[in-house]
Formats: sequence, structure tokens, C-alpha cells
Amino acid sequence: MDNLKPFLADVLSGVAAQYADIRVEESEETGIVYRGQELDQIGRSLERGGCIRVFHNGNWGSASFNQIDEKLKGLAKDVAAGVEALPAKPETLGSLPALSDSVTVPEADDPREVPLADKHALIKHYNDILLKTAGITTTMSMYHDAFRTTTFLSSEDRCITQESVYTGFMCRALTRDGTNVQDYHDTFGKTAGFSSLQNREPMVERIAKVAIELLKAEPVPAGKYDVIIDPLLAGVFAHEAFGHLSEADFLSTNERLRELMKIGTRYGVDELTIVDDGTMPGERGSFRYDDEGSPAQRTELIKEGRIAGHLHDRQSAQQMAEKVTGNARAVSYRFSPIVRMRNTYIEPRAFNIEDLLDSVERGLYVCGSRGGMTELESFTFSSQYARLVEHGRQTKMVRDVVLSGNIFETLKNIAMIGDDLVMFGGLGGCGKNGQGPLPVGLGAPHILIRNVVIGGR
Amino acid sequence: MEDQILSLAEARGAQAEVFGSEETRTVVEFRANEFHSQESRLTHGHGLRVVKGGRVGFSSSSNPDKVGELVDAAFETAEFGKQCCFEFPGPEPSPAVKTFENRVIVLPALKMIEWGRELVDAVRARVPGLKLDVTLDRTYGETVVANSAGLNKRFARANLQLSATGLLVNDGLVWISEFENLSSGSPPSIGALADRIEERAILARSRARLATGTYPVVFMPTAVPDLLYPLLVGVGGKQLEKGVSPLIDKVGRKLVDEKITIADNGLRDFGTASAPFDAEGVPRRRIELFDRGVFNGFLFDLATAGACGAESTGSAVRDYTAQPQPGKSNIQLLPGAARLNETLAGIRHGLLVHECIGGGQSNVLAGDVALNVSSGHLIENGKVTGRVKDTMIAGNVYEMFANVAAVGDTVRDLGSYHVPFVMFPRLKVATRD
Repeated sequence: MDNLKPFLADVLSGVAAQYADIRVEESEETGIVYRGQELDQIGRSLERGGCIRVFHNGNWGSASFNQIDEKLKGLAKDVAAGVEALPAKPETLGSLPALSDSVTVPEADDPREVPLADKHALIKHYNDILLKTAGITTTMSMYHDAFRTTTFLSSEDRCITQESVYTGFMCRALTRDGTNVQDYHDTFGKTAGFSSLQNREPMVERIAKVAIELLKAEPVPAGKYDVIIDPLLAGVFAHEAFGHLSEADFLSTNERLRELMKIGTRYGVDELTIVDDGTMPGERGSFRYDDEGSPAQRTELIKEGRIAGHLHDRQSAQQMAEKVTGNARAVSYRFSPIVRMRNTYIEPRAFNIEDLLDSVERGLYVCGSRGGMTELESFTFSSQYARLVEHGRQTKMVRDVVLSGNIFETLKNIAMIGDDLVMFGGLGGCGKNGQGPLPVGLGAPHILIRNVVIGGR
Repeated sequence: MEDQILSLAEARGAQAEVFGSEETRTVVEFRANEFHSQESRLTHGHGLRVVKGGRVGFSSSSNPDKVGELVDAAFETAEFGKQCCFEFPGPEPSPAVKTFENRVIVLPALKMIEWGRELVDAVRARVPGLKLDVTLDRTYGETVVANSAGLNKRFARANLQLSATGLLVNDGLVWISEFENLSSGSPPSIGALADRIEERAILARSRARLATGTYPVVFMPTAVPDLLYPLLVGVGGKQLEKGVSPLIDKVGRKLVDEKITIADNGLRDFGTASAPFDAEGVPRRRIELFDRGVFNGFLFDLATAGACGAESTGSAVRDYTAQPQPGKSNIQLLPGAARLNETLAGIRHGLLVHECIGGGQSNVLAGDVALNVSSGHLIENGKVTGRVKDTMIAGNVYEMFANVAAVGDTVRDLGSYHVPFVMFPRLKVATRD
């Protein structure tokens, strides 16, 4: 629709409310999946849809839609009428100044300009590397790209058109010996063009190597260990165990939790700084404006061991009398934005990996992630594999290493932080309130944590 | 629009299938005892599968202005697509199943808000200090499958579910979740929901300690899906086709305790995944996956059935943006003979599990689980006592289910799972105490 902006402005002008905004997304995505030797899925999707939100007397109403036609005006009025009927609450949104901006993706980064044959050839090539490795039972390899144009208009005369791009791939190798089935995967992605995925053969070769070694690994005995966590799992830890606690939509409604997360409270060593940053070029959780039209920023969550900030959308910032941080994000046009992370990481410090190993008498070097979950103070996250560390030296590989515990205690048990920050942004993403997978980045250097509960057999 | 897309694809000399869905979803949310939001989602989109030169292509779109591009994209992908090893099914009658109730469709959003408020008030009166989140989620819509073999079927479904999560801050955070499937049109049982939340809140006030060791463990119905999920990953036809299911060559063998009978029932009235036919138009049915411990067979869609020399079990699942794949519908663990109070009375020192986190994160295909017990209680001399913290259960579900002490006589409807409690005589439990 060429005259989309004037039409959407027209829809908004018919809404009688304190605040309203409308966000329309048009996207094209390509997905290719290989399972073993066979191409399992190849598909393209052409999406267009939007979401209208209305705020009045402290209440929100919203509706998402696919059809963009005259009926939209009626839908907008219905949402406003629904909100009007609710009992008033004392909440406010604050205000943002009028703005008109346009963010574009360089033409060279547009995956729509790359022939499907090239995308297919690349993922087949990586999949073939795994298949040709002796000992691999089967594989799964996945390619994904997305180009999205978002048009945002608000009743505060903020009008933003923002293009975004993502390309990524994932490879998984599976090994099997009788009923012992093991797998290992790795993934890579950037908010950049197709070329960023090329020349990744060393990563793929490593996937095959680890998957084969895992088949011989024994399950780790359950117990308490000193653990060195690699940058990926440490990044998952920063995101899952601490980042979610910093999301103010939850804090703003719970006084006692707010007390636990009060600015200045000490939870870690002086060396510990955890950041959530939406402005890192190329990283998966980066963008110029969030889905409420607020600019992205860099936000320190823990600075030198003490709580330094929270993640906000406009409403939670007002509720807690803090600054908007640009963390209002929606996984797609079907949803209203909620407070979400962007690129969350632990800042690097002075130690190298050898220093960390030297400090472990008997422990584990834990690598990779199968994902993690939290219920606020409790966290659980699973690694892909680990190695025993004995007298500062890595020895045999073990598997089924699942870390769990209480975040506040665990943060205090971080003993050493490495100097080797790595950021990750592969396929997958974060889930919250039914919205997922949301693109986020995460990372860390190697870190050493004392006395972690490892669930094993 | 299905007909238009189908004709465009057929005109280019292909076999084709259009899957369309149109859905209206209304979600009412309370957070921390307060009304938070009311959201509507109107979804309308189509997925197109074409078979050209023996290969399968796929595209999807929610943009009615781009029907031509949708068809082009499907043919473009078919050049690289998977070899087709199935035929689209022709018209064939579908079984009867109740998938919608008019009272659910016409329910005003304001009524949903009123119910949420009633539950919040009832719980607040009984458990001061507890912050309750309540979600009422109503979806209704129509699904269409049409293909070149002459099939053209549609059905309507309406689901309404209430879920509630209470948070208590008391020596750490305590979460208490509740759920009720309201798809048959009955109003929520506010009193019973509030009773259960209150009962657990009272128990959670005291803290109990359990040392790392091996104990009898009772999984309440709310925690049983965390164990059934990994047990059933291997029943997918996709896992069989790819040779990665641990259940390969096990059909007809007794793999788990004879107290265990598990059915995949796509024809359960008002089940959240119930339908007269699957996402490819094949009639749904009730499939016994485990019969008194014996593994009976896999779930197939058309493509995996074709690849494995089997027939579709009517288990194709998808939304319009994706190609079908075999998946579970409503899972039923059939009740046993055990009463909860008698079972608990027989346990001298054990663990009662209400809720876990961390399901699905370990090597689930192999049946491995590592569950962090987020809501669990010590059982001492037959009595449920205080709440345990920092407690993990790790193991292999095939091994766990091989020895089941008791299966409860009462089933809880959790939407897509319909399950009683399950007691294991000996499970390894790791704690920080």
C-alpha cells in the first residue's frame, strides 16, 4: 500500500483516547531445513499485518490485524470503546516529542537480492561437511533470513519507518550408539546480509567433532562443583538468570521484588558489570527504535557488583519514576510490545582462561547451551557438554550437565571474570508471555563460579 | 480465496494444497491482582504446498494483495524441494467431535474481565499478600483445507482457557499455578480454584529440608506433562523417518510399567487440539501410543507416512506459515486405581511435586530430563509438610516410567493434557540442603 502512512494517520485520528499508536509490518522471509541428506523444508513467507494500541485512563487495549482496509477504522474505534469502558487507574505514560525518521538497511545487505539457489547451496555445503564426517548418524541444518519494514505512527506525531534484516544458520550433528543418542549444535547470525554467513566452515567442523566425542562421554555425577562457564553459557546465564529479573514490567507491580532489585543493592563482586545494549552494530538484539518508538540505548543492569538499572517500556518507567530505556519489543505485529532484553552481556575483566583453570582444584568447564529458564529467583540451564577440571587441567568430557540454583546466591559466588568477551546471535531467541522467539543477542567472557549445584545422575 | 490460490497453482500444471486459517483471539489479563489489558488478534493467512516435477514447494502469506507472489514463491522453492512421496487425500467423511460451543464464541470480553476479577477477589480474601496473575484466553476461528484431489473441508473451533499464577514472597519466591479449560462453555469454578491456591499457599509458608538422595516422588497432574513430553518426543513419525527415535524397532514391546496407558486423542470433545480432521484433511482419531506399557506405534502425517511405508494417522499439525509435520493432539494418561490421600499416607519420607521448570532443556529425544522443582513439598510420615527449595530431579523418563508405584484415579483437564498424578517409588533427587 503506497499511501500507507496517510491511511494509518487517518485511522489514528478517529480514535478518541489519551494515547494511541499503530504499527504495520511487512516482511519477507526464507527458510531452508536439511535433515540428513534430504532437504526437508524450503519455503518463503510474505507477511503483512499490524497492531493498534490505545491507552486511556490508565488502561491499555489492543488489536492485531492482517486486513488493511477501511474496516480498520472500525476496529480502532472498537478497541478505544473497550478501553473507555474499564475502571480508571492512576497510571500515566509520560510523553515523547514529535519525530519523523526513517532507518534503512544498506542494499548490499538485503537478502531478497540473493538468489534462492545461493542460499540453498550454502546450507547444503555446511550440512554436507557434517554428513561426510565419519561417525555422524544424521544432521539438521537450517538457514533463515528476514527482511522487515515497520511503519510506526503515534498520536504524539511520531512517525518512524524502520527496515531491519537478519540472516542466520544453525547446524546440528547427531550421533547414536544403540539407545545412547547424543547431539551437538551451534548457530550463527547477524543483523547483516547473506555474506556474513559465508566462510563458517571451521564452526561446522567443530560441531561434528564435539558430537562424536559426546557419544563416549559419561553423564556427570550430581553434586556441587566449581564451574568455569564458557562465553555462550555465561551469556545465557546473564540473560536468563539476571536479565529477566531486571525487566521492570514485573518489578513495577511487585513492591517486595522491587526491594530486592533496588538500585545500589550489592549482588556481586566489584568486577561484575552486566549490560543490556540495543545499539551494538550487527548484533541480533540491535535496533534504532523499539516498538513504542523509543530510541534504543545502552543500559547498565549491574555496575561493579551493584544493581544499576532496570529495563523499561514507557509505562513501567513512569510507574517506577525511572527513565525509558527503549526495551519495549514485540515478537511480531500480532503482539503488543512488552519489556524485553536486547543484547545482554557480562563485561570482560583481566583474567585469561588459564588463570581461571589454575584456580580450580576439582570442577567442571561447562560449554554451550541447550537453553535455560527462570522463575525469578530459581534458574535452570542446560549445557551442551562439559569437561572435568582436575588440578587446573581439563580432562574427560562429561554430558547431561544442568546448572541450577538461586540467582542472588550464584551472583555472589562469581569468583573470576575473564578477558575474552564473545557475543552470540544465532537462530532461536527469547520467549516471554507467549511471545517468542524474539531476536536477542547475548555474550560474556569465561567466568568462574564456586559451588554450583549440578543435576546429574 | 482458497479456490483462487488453488486454481492459479493448478493452472501451472501442479498438484496443490491450500491451508487457510482465520482466527479471532481475545486475551484478558490481570497482573498482580490488577486488570492489566485486553488484546484482540485477528489472523488471516494461507499456506500453499505445490508438487511440481515430483518435488514439494511451499510458501505462505497473510497479504491478500500478494496472491500472485505467493504462488510464484511456492513454485520457486519447488525447484529445490523435497522429493514427494505421498498423494493428497481425496474427500472422505470426518468423524464427529465437539470443537466449539456458541456460548464461548458470543462471550463478551467484559464477562471475561468480570470472571478474572472474581477470581482475584476470591483469592485475595483467602491469601493476603499473594499477587495473582490471571489470563483468560478465547480463540475462535475456521480452518480450511482444499487440494487438487477434490478435498475441500472446513471446521470451526472455539477454545477458552483460564490460567492463573500466584506469587508469594516468603523466604524467596513461591509460585502457584492453576488452570481450567472452559471450552465447553461452563463458567469458571472460582471457589475450587481459590481453594486449591489457598491450600498450596498455606503449605508454602513453612520451609522443609530434603537432603540429596533417593526418595519416593509423587508428581501431581500439573507436573506430569514435564515427564510425558520427553517420553513422547520419540513417537513422532519425523523422528522415525530420520532414524533418531529411541523407539525404533520397539513397536509391540513393553517399554514402561503396565500401569501406563497413554492415548493421543484428537477426538476428545472440547480438547484444545481436537478437530474432525488434521491439517492435511485426513480424519482425526484416537491412537493408543502405550497400552499397559506396550509401545503401539508412531504418529504420522502424509509425508512421514509415505517415507516410512505407513499410513497417515491424521496427526498433521501446522499453522498457515509452515508445512505440516506429525504432532501430538490431546494427550491422555489413563487413570489408575490409586487415591491421592491413601498414596500419600503410605509415604514415610518423600517428595510431592506440583510444578517444575527446565522441562525440555536436556537431551529430550533420548528421554533425558533435568527438572528444577519450582513448587514441591516434603512428605513426612504420610503428611505433606513445608516447601522444599533448590531441588532437582534428573534422569531418563524411559527408566523412570519403567517402575511406577501408582497412577491416580482422578484425571485433571490441563487443556491438551488430561492426566492423573503419578507416583514413582525411587527417584534420585539433588538438593542444596
